[in-house]
Amino acid sequence: MAMKRLILRLFTSLVIVVLSGLPNEILAAPYYEGKVIQIIVGFSPGGGYDRMSRMLAKHLPKHIPGKPSIIVDNMAGGGSAIAANYIYNVAKPDGLTIGAIDQGLAFGQLLKVAGVKFDARKFSWVGSTGVEPTILTLRSDLPYKTIEDLRKEKKEVFLGSVGKASTDYQFPILLKEFVGINFNFVIYPGGADINLAIERKELDGRVGSYSSLKPFIERGLLRPFVRCRVSVQGIESLPVDEDLTNDIKGKRLMSMLAAPARLGRPYIAPPGVPNEIMNILWDAFAKVVKDPELKEDAKKNRFEVEYVSADEIQRILNELFNQPPDIIEEFRKYIKF
Amino acid sequence: MLDAFIGGLLLVFQWESFLYLLIGATIGFGVGILPGLGGGETLALMMPFIYKMTPEQGLPFLLGMHSVVATTGDITSILFGIPGESTTVATIVDGYPMAKKGEAGRALGASLMSSLIGALIGAGFLAVSIPIVRPLVLAFGSPEMFMVIILGLTCISTLSGHGKRGLLRGLLAGGFGFLCSMVGQDRQAGILRFSFDSLYLMNGLPMVPVMLGLFALPEIIDLSVQETSIARSLPQGKVSKGVREGVKDTFRHFWLTVRCSIIGSFIGIMPGLGGSVAQWVSYAHAKQSAKTLEEREGFGKGDIRGVLGPGAANNSKEGANLIPTVAFGIPGSVGMAILLGAFFLLGLVPGPDMLTKHLTLTFSMVWTIVVANIIVVAVSLLFINRIANLTMIRGNLLIPFILLLCLIGSYTASKHMGDLIVMLVSGGVGYLMVRFNWPRPPFILGFILGPLAETYLYAAMARYKAAWLFRPKVIVILILAIAAAVYPFVQEKRLARKEARNEAMG
Repeated sequence: MAMKRLILRLFTSLVIVVLSGLPNEILAAPYYEGKVIQIIVGFSPGGGYDRMSRMLAKHLPKHIPGKPSIIVDNMAGGGSAIAANYIYNVAKPDGLTIGAIDQGLAFGQLLKVAGVKFDARKFSWVGSTGVEPTILTLRSDLPYKTIEDLRKEKKEVFLGSVGKASTDYQFPILLKEFVGINFNFVIYPGGADINLAIERKELDGRVGSYSSLKPFIERGLLRPFVRCRVSVQGIESLPVDEDLTNDIKGKRLMSMLAAPARLGRPYIAPPGVPNEIMNILWDAFAKVVKDPELKEDAKKNRFEVEYVSADEIQRILNELFNQPPDIIEEFRKYIKF
Repeated sequence: MLDAFIGGLLLVFQWESFLYLLIGATIGFGVGILPGLGGGETLALMMPFIYKMTPEQGLPFLLGMHSVVATTGDITSILFGIPGESTTVATIVDGYPMAKKGEAGRALGASLMSSLIGALIGAGFLAVSIPIVRPLVLAFGSPEMFMVIILGLTCISTLSGHGKRGLLRGLLAGGFGFLCSMVGQDRQAGILRFSFDSLYLMNGLPMVPVMLGLFALPEIIDLSVQETSIARSLPQGKVSKGVREGVKDTFRHFWLTVRCSIIGSFIGIMPGLGGSVAQWVSYAHAKQSAKTLEEREGFGKGDIRGVLGPGAANNSKEGANLIPTVAFGIPGSVGMAILLGAFFLLGLVPGPDMLTKHLTLTFSMVWTIVVANIIVVAVSLLFINRIANLTMIRGNLLIPFILLLCLIGSYTASKHMGDLIVMLVSGGVGYLMVRFNWPRPPFILGFILGPLAETYLYAAMARYKAAWLFRPKVIVILILAIAAAVYPFVQEKRLARKEARNEAMG
């Protein structure tokens, strides 16, 4: 009698042990179930890239099978080069770490900006949330109303920038060299810090994505001056930087620099993430930009959101990296620390 | 404005908001007590839950959690000499010696009560300053912020260093802290420094393992060598009587507590450095209130005022921390950064609107901080005897537990073996510092504020070249810093002369 009970107990325990150790494949649990994705934003909190990432973190889980949690962390510095270095060198290629980096990062690599420790072509690009054209803005309380005013100014005009790897440095540097404006740069960890410095009148202005600067333009704090060749509704009437110079090289460089605008707000994953996982992410990104709740949040934040696929990004990158080396050398001359 | 003030209070007591406030406060209680598990990290982990909440639920939850962490972080600082949060380091300086003397209950009572008063005053400060907040924050540019960091460092150095060379050692320790903070990529360009080609060091030394190692390990070594409980001598009477004593102490030194709260509020407005610097400047102020030479020496060995000052300041700064976050979208601390993220998700845009259109909501945030703190202090006072009795447990039983907590807390930094190595190495450094009488607090402040100091200094130089040194506010803050450094010596001389005279007469 006691023997039977013992065997029964042993058998039950065995069944329990086996069932609890059942491999996931049999139950077909999705890869991301129960996991946490970390989006690392290469800037301090509060700026455009940061807010877009938080918006995505809120709505993406619905579109990923397994509904993982997504948290956002900031790793500011070097114009998002620090975050990119982390994603490239340290983060594991398991699809659980995504980076939100500056659209000008590939350019930064081309120009051999100090601090770059990655190869932009090798990232597993997830995609981007839309086209983000670059514009130059200055404080509206300053006496400058047109580009001519700026050209005539002998004093330094101080612009905020997050670092040389960012378009907010590369765009105005070209204006300085080819349009003759006396810009000087002060580096901050993120767009929000730059905006505060502008309000403090520590800075005269900044370059940035139109969508990040729209609220300040509407508030009357900033006045837009110039845009890059790529345009969106609202800034078509601004002068284009290429038209402001007669130098052929200058025009060429500015046109090249407009390519990152098409990269918009890019998201990257470490090199070597398996294709099955990337497919899940690509799918999710493509779906989330059509999500009505996201669209509502985007409106509140004054963002326009559409999906730029990883393939499109690769194409743009290839274009950039296939430029003749002499034109890059030319650009490199103007990047001084 | 008055209706927004009252409207805000009513918002807090809607049953849904209140419920989430309680939940947040409970989590905050646990987080603050566990060393290493910081308020910021936990807030980040809570974000996915917050996405699903409405503003009426999410904000009280977040704020309830965050504002409580400073109160309970003091508890670990006092009981074990381990900072529960980076903002509660100053409480260790006098709180832990009191625990060693068996006066843990008293220290806890004082810190809890001063935390409460600090929170109330901080909230009041926030409410009152809303009209002038924007010009106030805008008045401090990069040069001024850099000088404030120097001020904080000077205050710490003069206070935590004992003896003739205290100030020098303090400043050197602070400088060493700056140096250690430079490991990794520099924030301006991402250029590697001191990383010795290690991938782990590429991201710099993580703060939590350094902090835990520096403060916890030497105490653990001390405990295990002495083979006693933390309370070396037997306390007189029940610990709860000590708690009541501590609470009464807060009122005995009421104006000091109030002044330190105001200091905390004022410094807390500075984004980024508010939390770390506020506790030290108020500690400095508390020490200056000592009337005799003996009393001054008593600071650092267990003077109740050394607990009151920082206890009040690091709660009053919570309310003030909200200001740059709400008014400018510049977070005052890691926790505020998370809060900022939550604002965006909830559709709130920081800026002038928050102080005009959404004033009631802003006030409700202020009230949330107040109410959460009141509840936590009340609850803590009920359980404080149990908590304080921990100091009576034999060291051998406590050590493995504390060590485990520290190891886990450190590992969460980067989930890499390097975290544990950093903790152990910092522990070694900390032990040497204690042995040779080098103060540790300036080191940790230099370490925490290093990146920020560099950012501000860089911006100041880039924008103004060397002219920033001559800006009026910079000069004023510099004078304050020099005064903070020199005044203790002057005061000592004066007190010594007075006592010599008294002796001669008597």
